[in-house]
Amino acid sequence: MDTDRVLRLALLAGEILMQSGSEIYRAEDTARIISKSYGVNAECFFMPTGIFISGYGEDKKAISLMKRITNRTVDLHRIEMINSFSRKINKESISIEEAERELHRISEYPYRNLSSMLIAAAFTASVYSLLFKGTIIDALIAAPISAVIYLANSGISKIGFFQFFSLFVSGVIAGALAIFAKEVYPLVNIDKVIAGSIMILVPGIAITSAIKDALKGDLVSSVARIGEALLVVVAVGVGLGLMIIIGLH
Amino acid sequence: MKELLLAFFGSFFPAILFNTEKKILGWAGVSGLVGWTIYKALTYLTGMPVLATFFGAAAIGFYSEMMARRLKTPASVLSISGMYPLVPGITAYLVVENIVTGNLSTALNKGIETLSYAGAIAFGIMFVTASIQFQAKYKEFFRRKKKNTYKL
Repeated sequence: MDTDRVLRLALLAGEILMQSGSEIYRAEDTARIISKSYGVNAECFFMPTGIFISGYGEDKKAISLMKRITNRTVDLHRIEMINSFSRKINKESISIEEAERELHRISEYPYRNLSSMLIAAAFTASVYSLLFKGTIIDALIAAPISAVIYLANSGISKIGFFQFFSLFVSGVIAGALAIFAKEVYPLVNIDKVIAGSIMILVPGIAITSAIKDALKGDLVSSVARIGEALLVVVAVGVGLGLMIIIGLH
Repeated sequence: MKELLLAFFGSFFPAILFNTEKKILGWAGVSGLVGWTIYKALTYLTGMPVLATFFGAAAIGFYSEMMARRLKTPASVLSISGMYPLVPGITAYLVVENIVTGNLSTALNKGIETLSYAGAIAFGIMFVTASIQFQAKYKEFFRRKKKNTYKL
């Protein structure tokens, strides 16, 4: 078997997993399982910002591959698909051409369409402003704000600008729209509206992945993810604070 | 009752945002429901919300580890959306508001409160995951030990 080709396959699987926000141990295990089932002994070292695979096969030649991970999103469905793919490859032997085709199909699998995401974001915001003991009116105002935040976030990340700027902009949008709503209709509870509408920005996956990485001993990525979560909170907070200061004066 | 429904949808809709598979969405909602029920009950019984958050998160961790085996998906699919209702959104907002209005001591107060909630969520899930992994390792260790003694 061609060592280079096998390692490229493993690298692609690892790349998709890391871009979808997987834990380190899952991605490393997947890459190791894929290369092992084609007779290549691979050593993997993954971090949230880049992955390294090095291995040697039957031709006794060592090869190292490296891939930089630049954009990271949350896509649990893709993680699941790769998970069952690696389970399948481990159990039954499928040809490498077929495996490559399958993996490319997973990597090009379409994301859920924007309108249903916007509806989900809107409902999330209104549910949380009700859960924070807000009124029905707060919930109705938080919904469109959250949809606008989601739209701005996905727009900026599509352009490819760095992540914390889009979070800062989201904070600004949440603050500005909530203060505007308060000006128009004074009975609005501004804290409930803002807290509900920024719930979609909570770095949930960063925190849980950080915990699991720490448990498995991947200390570098664990600390990196905790730092990421803190930066997210600070970026949103600064944007919000700026708007509140402007709104007060 | 109304809050339980809200907690269910509060995990259901974030799960859509994470592109979770359709058949798992309902189970993700139940995960939030389980955590919120434990949290509310313990807050009522003990009057200590941070402790209640810890046990709520532990319940979510336990539920997701169990359901992950049955549904054959990664456990984090369920636990991430399940912990959303426990996230201290409103206290985090109050920190920002108090900082910009200059009430730094209140901000510090609320900041420590937010951090302790977040820590309780993280360690609650970690506690369950670690103990389930420990149990699996423990079993494996003794199986290996038994095999070795037979060989001798």
